[in-house]
Parts: sequence; C-alpha cells; structure tokens
Amino acid sequence: MHGSWLNGTMPSTEVVSSSPEATMEIGRQLAQRLRPPVLVLLSGELGSGKTTITKGIISGLGVAREEEVTSPTFTLVHEFRKHVRVFHVDLYRVEGFHDLESLALEDAFVEPAVVIIEWAERFVLRTDWPQVAIHLEHVEADTRRITITLPKN
Amino acid sequence: MRILGIESSCDETAASVVADGREILSNVVASQVSVHQKYGGVVPELASREHLRSIVPVVREALDCAGLNFNDIDGVGVTCGPGLVGSLLVGLTYGKVVADALGKPLIGVNHLEGHVRAVFLEAFRVDRRPSLPAVCLIVSGGHTVLYEVAATGPPEPLSAALLRYGKIGQTRDDAAGEAYDKVAKLLALGYPGGPIIDRLATHGAQSRRAHAEHIDFSPTKLRGNPYDFSFSGLKTAVLYYLRAHPELQPEIEERRRVLGSGERGGDKLVPLCSPQTLGLLVAFQKRVVAELARRTLQAAEEIAAQSILVSGGVAANNELRHSFEREAEQSGVPVFFPSRQLSTDNAAMIAAAAYPRLLSGQRAGLDLNAEPVLPLA
Repeated sequence: MHGSWLNGTMPSTEVVSSSPEATMEIGRQLAQRLRPPVLVLLSGELGSGKTTITKGIISGLGVAREEEVTSPTFTLVHEFRKHVRVFHVDLYRVEGFHDLESLALEDAFVEPAVVIIEWAERFVLRTDWPQVAIHLEHVEADTRRITITLPKN
Repeated sequence: MRILGIESSCDETAASVVADGREILSNVVASQVSVHQKYGGVVPELASREHLRSIVPVVREALDCAGLNFNDIDGVGVTCGPGLVGSLLVGLTYGKVVADALGKPLIGVNHLEGHVRAVFLEAFRVDRRPSLPAVCLIVSGGHTVLYEVAATGPPEPLSAALLRYGKIGQTRDDAAGEAYDKVAKLLALGYPGGPIIDRLATHGAQSRRAHAEHIDFSPTKLRGNPYDFSFSGLKTAVLYYLRAHPELQPEIEERRRVLGSGERGGDKLVPLCSPQTLGLLVAFQKRVVAELARRTLQAAEEIAAQSILVSGGVAANNELRHSFEREAEQSGVPVFFPSRQLSTDNAAMIAAAAYPRLLSGQRAGLDLNAEPVLPLA
C-alpha cells in the first residue's frame, strides 16, 4: 500500500499514515532498505509516532516482535542483539544535556549496527555513518505525515 | 540469618540488613533525585558516578544502624538486573568484594523479584499475609508488568518460600511512571512527575465540586493480549487537549519560569495551576489508575488469584491505592502494597529476596554479571 515511495529516486519522500498499524508497516518496509552501519534519526513531537514506527523498523529487521519494542525513555537505550545489532535510543529526557559520552552511547558505534534515535534533533552526532532522517507530524487524531530522507546514492 | 542487601539498579544507592527474610534491621537509601532533576530524568553516567560516591558510606551506615559488623552478616544479596548497566555494576562489584572478602555466600537478585518481596515485608510487619497464587502488578518509572506469582514448594513460611513467576501482560510503550513524567514535562510541573501530579490531582479532586473542571479520557483499546497496557495514547491525548486549549499556555510558561528559578515541590505549584489544569490532572491520573486496576483485577479473576500485590514506585500513589482497595473490596480479592518507603527502590526487598535462595543453597560466583535486561518470567 505504501510500496511506491520505496522505489522512488527522490532523496526525500512524504507519506501519510492513517493509523498506528500503517505507521508500523511503513517502518517494516523501510527496514528492508537498512544495512548496518546506519543511523536512523527520528524527529517529531510527543505522540507523533516515533516509537510506533520504530516498532515497525525493529520487527522488520527481525530482531524483536513489535510488542517487545517499548519506549526506552527511562533507560535511554534498548539494545537488540541478533543477526544484526540494533540500538533504540530515546533522547527525550536529555534536552539541554550536551555531554554525549555521559549517555554511554559510544558502545553503539563501536561496530556496524542499526542505531535508531528518537528526538535526534537534540544532539549533534559526530559519525560518518549513513543517515536516514524520518520526521513525523500530527495531522489529526490518528493521521500522521511522515517524511523520510534516505542517504544519497 | 542476617543478609546484607545491596541495590543500585537505577538512581538510588541502597543497603539494608534483613533478618530471616522478614525483619528489617536497617534500611538506608541515598537518593539521587536532586542530581537528575534538572535533566528531567536519570542520566546513566551521572548515576554511576553517584553510586560510586555513595556505595561505601551507605553500606557502612546500614551496618551501623543494625548495630552490626561485616562479620555478623551471613550472606550478601545484590541486584544483578534489570537496570542501567553502569549503575548495576557498582553495587554488584561491591557486593562481590564484600562476600569474597568475608567468605560469605553471594546471591544475585532480580530487582523485580525484590519488588514482590517488598509487599511481603510490609505484610510481615502488620501481620496480614497474602495467600498464593497472586497476581502482582509492578508499576514504576521503568516497568509496568503483570505477573502470576506462585510458590514452587511449601508456601509457608512465606519469607522462605521460593516463587515462580509467569508474565501475564506488560506495557507496549511507556511505563506508567514514564507517562507521569512526560505529562509533568508537558505541563511544566517538574520531575519526578508521579508524586507531583498525585498531590495536585488530589488537591484538584478535593476542590473539584468548587471549581475544578470536569475532563474525561476514554479507556485505552488494545488488540491482542487483553492484559497488556498502553499509556502512549493517553500522553498524546493530554498533548491534544493542551493544543485545543491555548489559554493554558501562560500558566505553563509561568510554571516553567518558576521551576527554572529552582523552586520545587507540589505545594508551590498549587497556586500556579488553574482549576482547568487541576481537572486535567485529575482526569489523567484517574485514567492511568483505571487502566492499571481494570487489567489487574481481570487477571486476578482469570487465574483465580488469592491476592493482588501492587509494588514499585507508582504503588506509592494515593489515588492508585484508594482505587485498588475500593475495587478489590468489591471483587473480594484482598490487595497488598508495600509501605510507601518500600514501594520505591530499596535494598531491604533485595535482602528479603535473597533469603529463600540462600536457604535453598543457591550461590552466585564471582563471575555474576550485570544484566540490563533480565526478565523475571
């Protein structure tokens, strides 16, 4: 249903999701394009669907079921270790905190992994890994506008 | 038999001595709330540093308060997960060193099992025992999970009974305590959100007939496991409410300014919250508690539980306690909580959880490792 955007050559694609289930499906499809090392940067307001799309990405990568992917706000980082290493990071709470080393995130970058970061706009990450940017916006009730920018090439 | 318990899984450095898994001889907790407050939550590396600073004096104080020396201890129980790995390692390493130096047994304890035992510690104190099997809701900033709890062998004495756990349900997104923190942040009420919202909502409910506005959030609907929880939608509903009511922005700005200047505490915030905000908090808290209570009571009925146990930081919440007590009375299944002091993280519950394991001959080696993700079932 959302397959067409994946085949596009545009660096940036906009899709509209009308339900959390559809948002997860977009995540699952995106997962097929992700090869480690890659950084997935999620931005968008509270409740815009960042954890929901992450559920799709992580289940699409085959490292956990959707219901096993919960908000990492409290512990900041959840790690999934199977055939691919996946880190799910949430920087919601660390607004104004600029010492990235203090978040013990450096482990995520020592070997190729899929690193998914919620509230990515709060940090400048120094890494040469390819980056996928996903921006989610509230449209109404369950509807979200999702803008995905894939790395060039 | 006296066990030294050590707990450092998150932002409290704690040590305690518990006799025979039931009598608390000392219970020392060094909280780091003030360290993390300005970040609106626990920052892992800062937490590790604070644990390092506190662990030695906290353990020493626990022994002093109990009137004991290291040599009077019969074993060491230490939290090995789940939690922040850097935090866990501090308590775990110290516990290993103490056990090894004294030649005493070391027991690794799952933090979540500690929360279950915290309920028992209070039950022993007031001499009102929960019967098994039970359902146990563990609800805190990091966890919202529902277990079936049963004895693997003789259930008496409860302090010595080994338990087995079966997971019935859990949150699919935010933990309940996390939802409190996020809503507190949206409304500029400070951190941690749970106790602050509880106080403001209680105030709002009491003054409700006079002036608080009536707002209602609808029940959360989930597909699949009927005992799973979800608090993400409720958080979003609060956000939508704020968007639809821009008249609340000036007071949010004012509270942000006051909090930014260093003022803390619910009492200072009460005059800065309009009846509408208090009404919103009443509705939010009511919905969180209703979601927790409904599923827990249904699960209790489903497994024919003899009792309901509620533990973890959010178990200190007044509305939650009243609501569970009210509904449990109707259903005829008694509900048990830890004391408020033992609801939040502490080491007495870790020592109590170590006791039956020690009795049954379980020992951890010096290779015991910290497990950030450690399921109880």
